[in-house]
Parts: sequence; C-alpha cells; structure tokens
Amino acid sequence: MAKVVIYSTPTCVYCKMAKDFLTEHNIEFEDHNVAEDEQARAEMVEKSGQMGVPVIFIDDEMMIGFDEARMRELLNL
Amino acid sequence: MYDVLIIGGGASGFTAAIYSARKKLKVIVLEYEQGGQTALQPEIWNYPGYTGLDGAKLMQTMKKQATDFGAETKNFVVEKIYSEKGDDGHEIFVVEDKNGNQIKAKSVIIATGAKPRKLGVPGEEEFYNKGVTYCATCDAPLFGGKKVAVVGAGNTGLDAALQLTKYAEKIYVLVRSSVKGDPVTYDKLKKDPKVEFIFGVETQEIKGDKFVTSLVYKDKESKQTKELEVSGVFVSIGSIPNSDFLGDFCEKNQYGQIVINPKTNATSRPGVFAAGDVTDIEERQAIIAAGEGAKAALQCYKWLKSNH
Repeated sequence: MAKVVIYSTPTCVYCKMAKDFLTEHNIEFEDHNVAEDEQARAEMVEKSGQMGVPVIFIDDEMMIGFDEARMRELLNL
Repeated sequence: MYDVLIIGGGASGFTAAIYSARKKLKVIVLEYEQGGQTALQPEIWNYPGYTGLDGAKLMQTMKKQATDFGAETKNFVVEKIYSEKGDDGHEIFVVEDKNGNQIKAKSVIIATGAKPRKLGVPGEEEFYNKGVTYCATCDAPLFGGKKVAVVGAGNTGLDAALQLTKYAEKIYVLVRSSVKGDPVTYDKLKKDPKVEFIFGVETQEIKGDKFVTSLVYKDKESKQTKELEVSGVFVSIGSIPNSDFLGDFCEKNQYGQIVINPKTNATSRPGVFAAGDVTDIEERQAIIAAGEGAKAALQCYKWLKSNH
C-alpha cells in the first residue's frame, strides 16, 4: 500500500477535497496542518520549493494541488 | 443525450441544475473548479438566511441538492463547443474535452465563472506559489509571522487582508485609487494596528530569490519608486471571465464576458444560456450568481418546451 502524506491548511478547499477523496476510497494518510505546525510548513516548503497547498506525497511522487486523475493513477484506483 | 448541459459547478451552475432537475429534465453539470469561487470563501456574511457561512459547505449542499433531484455531475474540462444537426433534425450542442470525449445536449447553460486577474508585472509568474498567490483562503495560514502585501482593495482584497490578520505580522494593503470593498470590512481593518493602507500605488515588480522578498511600486503622486519588504503578495484585483474556450460560439463583449439578455439570460445563440460571473452582469456575488442560475434554468426550460 502506498504511503500518503498531505500538507494542508484547514481552510483550503482543495486540501479538503483531496482528503475527502482519500477517505472516500479508504486510503489512510498522514495529514500535516501547516497553518499550525511550523516545522511541517518548513518541511513542505523545502521539499516542494513552493508555498501552495496542498502538497501531497504518494510514496516518492510529489503532487502540488489536487489532481484527481493523477491521484487515481498513482493509487491505482 | 441530455436536455440541459451546464458548464461550471459554481453557485450559478448548481442552482441552474437544481431548477432544471426539478423540471424533470435530464441534466449534467460539468465541473472543473469544484464549487467555483464561492467555495473559496471561508465565511460568507451576505448570503441571506445564513451568517458566517462556510462557502465550501454551501457549495457541497447545493451540489447534493442538485444530485438528489437527479442531476448528474462530471469532472470534464471543455476544450471545444459546437453544434450539429441531430437525428430528429434539431440543432444539438456538443462539447469535447482535450481527449475528444464528447457530451451532447439539446440546450446549454454556460456558468463557468471567472478567475483572478493578474497584475502583469515582472516576477508575478516566476514567484507564483513562491509568495505570490491569488487565494487568501488557501494560503493565508502559510504566512504566519510574516510581512505581506495585498494588492487591491475591492471586496476580495479586503477579505484577504482580514484573513491575513489572523496570521501575518504586518499587512500592507496597496490601493490604486480608492477602497471599493464593503465599508464594514474596511472599518475593521482600519482599526487593526497590523494593517496599513497605502494609496496611489502602481505595482511594478515582484522581486525575490527562491521566494518573494519584496514588492516594488510607484507612488503615483510623488512619482517615486518604493520597495516594500514582504514575503507574500496576495493579488486581489478583480477577475476575468472563463470564456476563452467559447471562441466565437456566442457573443462576448470587450472584456470577454458573455453578452446576455438580462431578462432571460439568453446568449446570442438560441438554446444557449449563460449565468453568473462569466456574463456581462454588473455585480459579482454568490447570491446573484445563484439567482442568475435559477433564471437561466427556467428560461432554458421554456425554450426547450417550445423548440423540442
């Protein structure tokens, strides 16, 4: 099973969509709230070289923003 | 074949879907920016009947209402739209995505809304998502303890500044001429010591290395060039309609907005209606977009009855 990590903020609609999508498909994920967790924020900026949320990792594949089609592909859905 | 094809899943699109579905028409909503601009508002205070409403929730409810009444929805980005002669001799409308997938319908309601207008200054593209953003709701929390600039003082700009007061250390609101947003929000911001309004600003450049470090502007009065040290730039200078995909399918004005008959929401093309921020109506509000969607759907229903 792929390891899914998401960096998000509570107010970001696309983050919510991504998380809803994962929940809907029974996929476990690690969620970092970068609005509060400064360390996670720094980590996200460092890894992705940018500041937009969500940043989603599916194993080593990084996705900036929520792209349902690509997510389906990477998760074999 | 659908009776009504609605392009756009924002407030006007889903309201049109609710009204069409309740007429027992076969309806599909093509959404790509889910929930449209309304979904990006964390707190809506001027949608009657609700106070401090979460825009994303409002849009989820609208969508559920539409699908409960039988409307279908699909993630589908329209690349091309045209008409052809159907089997029964009537004109039918066809949309295609970039892979050539087609959807056909007897009538169309265009409700694709608008997207943020860009400043068009050096550095804006380069530092997009590296400090430059168009969505305060999404990105304001990332600027905790930082200095930021909001460009624009319409409702979007003032709302962005207000959201930022929760996080940023200092917020400059850069105003070209005058504050056009709601006085209620403006008053709140004026009282906040973290917020500073600068007037007569012409933004010239966004500078940085890996991320934004400053914004350069010209003071229109003194003609002097000034530089503000900021790590975030929230561009909020209005919107432009999502109408490029239409080509000359129906009439647009000089701003790219679809010209509609304000009474009926009819476009220049029979059987094609339009509603909300993509049209040439004057006000851009969730409640208005919803109302326009309802108008378009009811008129579209009448048109279908007398033409099919």
